[in-house]
This record gives sequence, structure tokens and C-alpha cells, in this order.
Amino acid sequence: MKMIRRIMVILLMCAVALIVGGSAWAGDTIKIGIIGPMQFVQGKGHWNGATLAAEEINAKGGINVGGKKMKVELIQSDSNEFLNVTDATNAMELLMTKEKVDFVLGGFRTEAVLAMQDIAMEHKKIFIGCGAAHPELCTRVAENYNTYKYFFRGTPFNSKLLVKTSFLHLKFVGDILKSQLDIPALKVAIVAEKAMWADPMVTATEGFLPKIGMEVAGIWRPSAVATDLTAELKAIQSSGAQMIYTIFSSSVGIPFARQCGELKIPAVQVGINVEAQKDGFYEATQGMGNYVFTMNTYCRGVEYNDLTAPFVESYVKRFGETPPYTADTYAALVYGLAPAIEQAGTLDADKLVKVMEVGEHKVPSGVVKYMVDEQGRQLHDLTWGPGYLTSLGVQWQNGKPVGVWPNKWKATPESQEVTYKGIADYKIPPWVIEAYKKK
Amino acid sequence: MSLLRYHLRKLFMIFKNEVLVLPSRIVVCIFFILLLIWPLIFEDPYAMRIVILASIFAIFAASWDLLSGFTGQINFGHALFFGVGAYGAAILNRQTGMPPWGSIPLGALIAVLAGLIVGIPCLRLRGTYLALTTLAFPIILASLIMTAPEYTGGEMGMSGLARLAMSRTANYYIVVVTMLVLVTVMWKITDSRMGIIFHAIREDELAVKAAGINTTMYKLIAFSLSGFFAGISGGLYAHFMRIAGPSTLEVSMSFQVVIWCVFGGMVTIWGPVGAVFILFPLLEFLRMWPEWRELMFALIVLIILLYMPGGLLPWVRNKIETECPRCKIRNVAFRSSCRVCAAEMK
Repeated sequence: MKMIRRIMVILLMCAVALIVGGSAWAGDTIKIGIIGPMQFVQGKGHWNGATLAAEEINAKGGINVGGKKMKVELIQSDSNEFLNVTDATNAMELLMTKEKVDFVLGGFRTEAVLAMQDIAMEHKKIFIGCGAAHPELCTRVAENYNTYKYFFRGTPFNSKLLVKTSFLHLKFVGDILKSQLDIPALKVAIVAEKAMWADPMVTATEGFLPKIGMEVAGIWRPSAVATDLTAELKAIQSSGAQMIYTIFSSSVGIPFARQCGELKIPAVQVGINVEAQKDGFYEATQGMGNYVFTMNTYCRGVEYNDLTAPFVESYVKRFGETPPYTADTYAALVYGLAPAIEQAGTLDADKLVKVMEVGEHKVPSGVVKYMVDEQGRQLHDLTWGPGYLTSLGVQWQNGKPVGVWPNKWKATPESQEVTYKGIADYKIPPWVIEAYKKK
Repeated sequence: MSLLRYHLRKLFMIFKNEVLVLPSRIVVCIFFILLLIWPLIFEDPYAMRIVILASIFAIFAASWDLLSGFTGQINFGHALFFGVGAYGAAILNRQTGMPPWGSIPLGALIAVLAGLIVGIPCLRLRGTYLALTTLAFPIILASLIMTAPEYTGGEMGMSGLARLAMSRTANYYIVVVTMLVLVTVMWKITDSRMGIIFHAIREDELAVKAAGINTTMYKLIAFSLSGFFAGISGGLYAHFMRIAGPSTLEVSMSFQVVIWCVFGGMVTIWGPVGAVFILFPLLEFLRMWPEWRELMFALIVLIILLYMPGGLLPWVRNKIETECPRCKIRNVAFRSSCRVCAAEMK
């Protein structure tokens, strides 16, 4: 009994020492909460990017806050938002009230981020969203500035612009097919996984294709976790489509690309295929994923500016993979938050908002400038376009992802051509060339 | 004055002779009191949030027990009522500016309508067929929500709803008191004549029909009542979270409620409520081990169900209380004779 009592006392003393010691240490650090689905690749990206940023900042002695160097302390919070939105809000509340973080970065699923945003705003903490793309997150800032001014979009640019970029990719590849294969009118098969987020994109694509002189060959909606897509692919082949516009975020992207390659379907794949954004795509498709084209933020060898290569290479060196877009927590911390804190000389959220929402700064994926809406109201949303953020069009060539867009891209007839360093030419799969040259 | 004294004395006697004699009733009393004084002791907003959400889900879980536990109408799509309540309240609040005290009950009435819509075609089905059919309804509604994003917010849901109250403490009392009242009402329903008929329908519907009771009507009542209570919880959830989204209709939401009820003990009302108040904070506690969290949670639930197939709380209750073999009145386990009929307790 005495022994148990002794152990209890020791444990209690340890707990007190931890609490006291912990809080004393916390006084000299800036606590940053990294919230995201940590058991999934998106959350891992959030955490890895932030880890790299914190190490870089701390190696330089920390952030200068009004003459005092303060180190960055990261607090990981698993939002579990893919499975449970309530869980995500509890995680955010925990960061705010128990961990008492100074800033929060992360979030992915729009529905969860909207709810988490409310909690962060209630506590008047700056929340940089690094995953959800819905415009509503920033519309709230414009419509109710005093409440939502603490929210900033870190990455990606909003979903309307993502769709616009994806359509640019479609037109880019379509133009190449037209010119090289001499096809006057292209037929496009829309293949979107059966998921809610893809529904509005399918409708938008249907409306957009005729505007650029393309025809809708048909719409196919396989399950997001389908493993056999032979029937769909055969139907696409019969429809006479020369292009397949993919809208995939789930595992279906792998069997679709693999079987498309195996069956040598005479149509090129363009669009969004999240699986094709990952480094292991070529192996996963058993080498059949060659020539697949997808939107992506980073691609080894392609540089938006002088910050891209150092970030991508150090990320690859540290984590063994190309950074996903959610790893832009790195950029949000190193090039967004840290300089703003140093400039404002304080951690006061209100003062920081004023600093963060003006001006522009270079990040590894371009230049960040926060937009205002038509009425001149602050949106805290990312500016898209040449000179700012555009993302990349990446094609798998010889087992490697290669940046192929923007390649001499002109946003308007008057604007300058944009080609990033390391961009290569788009390649049409040989079996597609063969199929249409015969005709 | 003497009348007041008489009633107070009567109340005290009931409390002494009916409540204090059984540990389970004392626990329920402590639970009620603890919930009501919690914000006076702990001002922690995070802890209050957990209790608020647990209270909302407790109403939801109890409403499933009312329908599936008592009436035996196994519903694997209970999220439909929760989602309809949430979306109903959200649409009313956003489109008409109706405050939460109006939008929540009206949203619940829309959930009653949903209960009737689901209930009528499902009346001819039983057991597995009913369970699988009900499973489809929230999925159908989720698809419908996607087709009208201008009214429902589509994938992101409807956000920016009015708060229940401005302070966390006020939110707490609104939700907790509502939960205590609604759970008591549900418990009283199951203890009434209607509750006995619900029981009977589950045990032998044919026999109930033979007794001249309109079972169709009672099953529809069960669907509607369950829909109403689940709708209230959905409305409270939407206004507390300030968002009503497709996640309220997810299959996981429907299964979660089944887990709570089976874990806590079905056909009790208080079992699911207790289960939510154990499992919801437990899941939060397990955040300390994020990688193992879901696995540990599943293991705990599995172990409990393996050794206590009737549910945790009835198992505990049976350990501390025993039933008199003669008059069927419950007694504290250590009594040697029944507190009512003085029969010897075995």
C-alpha cells in the first residue's frame, strides 16, 4: 500500500512539473495549431509542410516579435473531418481553449472548415485555410468582415478558379490534338467519380464544352472505389471520344488509368486525377499510367520562381515524396505569417490582419496577393492568374511526372506568354496517334 | 401554507421511498443534478461543448431506441430524421430569418413528415428488409440535396445559421434542459399504455392485431414520434454548429446511433443516453493517441458487447439491483427480502 502511495506521489509530482514546466516553456514560443485529417495524405501534407517550416524558422532563431525572438511550436490536431465533422469542430475547440494556440493552419473538407472557421473566429484567432477550395469561406470575410477577418486562404485558389484552370488544360490538350492529328471537332467523354463534389463539375463541363467547339460524347459516373472499369472504357471507345475528361479524387483514378492503358483506348486523359498527383502512380498503374494528364501544384523540375526548387527538393529529401498542395502550410508559415508577425511586431490578431491583407509575397507556388471583391471588400482569397498562382498541368511521361502547362499560355490575347522553367511539351500517346492517323 | 407543506412532504416521501431505495435511480438523480450545476463548477468551454454535443446525440440515440428498440422497427437510416431536422431548421432560419426557437420545432415537424413518408411504404416490411430499406432513405435525401444547391448549399451545406444563444453557458442550458425534458418525455411514453403496445408490437404483432389494436397506426406513431425527437436533435445540432451539411445524412451517422443504443442497452431509453455520455467523451479522451484512437474505441465497444451483450448499463444495473421473484419489483442487490412484498430474495 505504501508503495502504491509513493508511486502516486511521484506521478503527481511529475504531472505538476510537466504542467508548470510546459507553461513556462510555452511563454517563449508561438503556438501554431496544425489541424487536418492526419490519418490521410492531406493531413500528413499539412503536418509535413508545417514541420519543415518550423524547423527552418527555429534554425534561424525563431520569429522576431517586437525585438524578442520567439520559436515556433507546432501542435498537431487530427480533425478526422472526412469521417466526422463534429470531431473536427471539437479538435478546433481543443486547440483554442486547451492548447491556447496563437494561430491555426489547415482544414480540408469544406463543410468541416466552415464549422471550424466559426470557432476560430469566435476566439479571434487567425486561421489560414490550407485545403478547402470553396469560395464561401472567403465570401464570408467580405460579407461580415468584423467577424471573419481572421480567416485567410492559404491554398489552393478557390474552386471556381480550379475548374477554370482545368478547362484551360482541356482546351490546351484539345488544341494540340486538333493541330497534330487534324481532328476538326473533338468529342469528349466526361468521367467523374460518383461523389457529391463532382456533380457541379460535371454540369459545368457539359455547359463549357460546346463553347470551345467540343462535343460531349457521354457522361460516365463510376464508383469512387471501382476496380473494374472495362465496361465504361469500352463504351467510351464506342462513343468515338478522342478525349476523356477525368474528375477523380479517389482510388478509382488508378484502375481507370491502368485499364485505359491496357486496352489502348484511343483517347487522351485530361482533368483532375488525384491519384496521378502522387509519386507512386506509375507503379500503381503497373506502368500504364503514362500520358495521363492532371492538375497539380508541384512537380519536380518545374519552377514557378526561385523559391520552388529549394522547397520541393528539401521536402522530397525529408519526406521522400513530392509535396502535395496541402503542404503549402510551409509557404503560409514561412512567407505569410512569419514576415507579417515580424512586420507588425506583435501576435495581436487584429494588427496582423491589417498587415497580412495588403501587399503581395512570393511563395514556392507563385505569388500570393489577397483579392478584394467587386465592391472593393476584402475577401482574403488568393489571386489567380499569370504572375500570381496558376498551378500546373502535369503529364506522366516515361514513368515520371512532367510539367506541361502553362506552355506559352496567354491568359488574354494581349497578355504575355507564360511558360515556367522546366516545362516540357505535351505528348500524345502513340496509340492515339496511330488510331487517328489511320483515319 | 399547509397545502404546500403537505405537497413538499409528499414529494420528500416519494423521493425517499421511490428514489433513494434504488442505486440506479440515485445515479439518474446525480446525473441530472450534475448536468445542471456543471457550468457553475467548471467554466471550461471545451468541456461544455462536449456535454452539449453529447446531450444532442443523447436525444438522437433515445429517439432510435423509441422506434427500433421498443417497437422493433429496425431503422438503419435514422440519420434521415436528424438530417431533415437539421436542414429543415437551417432552411427556415436562412430563408425566412426564423429564430432557433421557431425553426427547431418546425424542422422537427418536417422530420415527422419524413417519418410518415418513410413509415408508410415501410409498413409492409419487417426485420432485415425494413432495415435495408430505411438505410437507403438518407442516401436518397443526400442526393436530392445535391440537386438543389441554391436552397440546400449543396456539398458545403448551409452555414452561418443563427446561434442558439450568444454565450456558451446559455447554449449549454438550452440544450441540456431540452435533452433532460425530451428524454424524460420519451421515457414516460414508453412507460405509458402506448409504450406497452410498442413492446407488444415488437414481441408479437399478430397477437396485438388479434387483440383489436390498430398496429399500423401505432407503428406510424412510433415513426412520427421518433422522427420528431430526432428532428429536434438535428435542429439543435444545426444551430449549435451553425451549419447543416450532408454529413448529417451520412451512413456513419445512422450506424453511430445503433452503436450507442446497443452499447448502452436497447429498450431502455436511459441506456442509449448513458452510452452517449460515456462514448462521446471517451472518443475525445482517446485523442491522446490519435493513431490508435478509432481502433481503441472499436476495441472497447467490442469487448463490452462481447461480455455484456445486453448492453453496459443494464449489465451494471443487474449487478447492483435484483428483481423480486414474487412481485417483480427491483431491489438493491444486498437486500435479503423484497422492500415491497417482503419475499425472500434469492
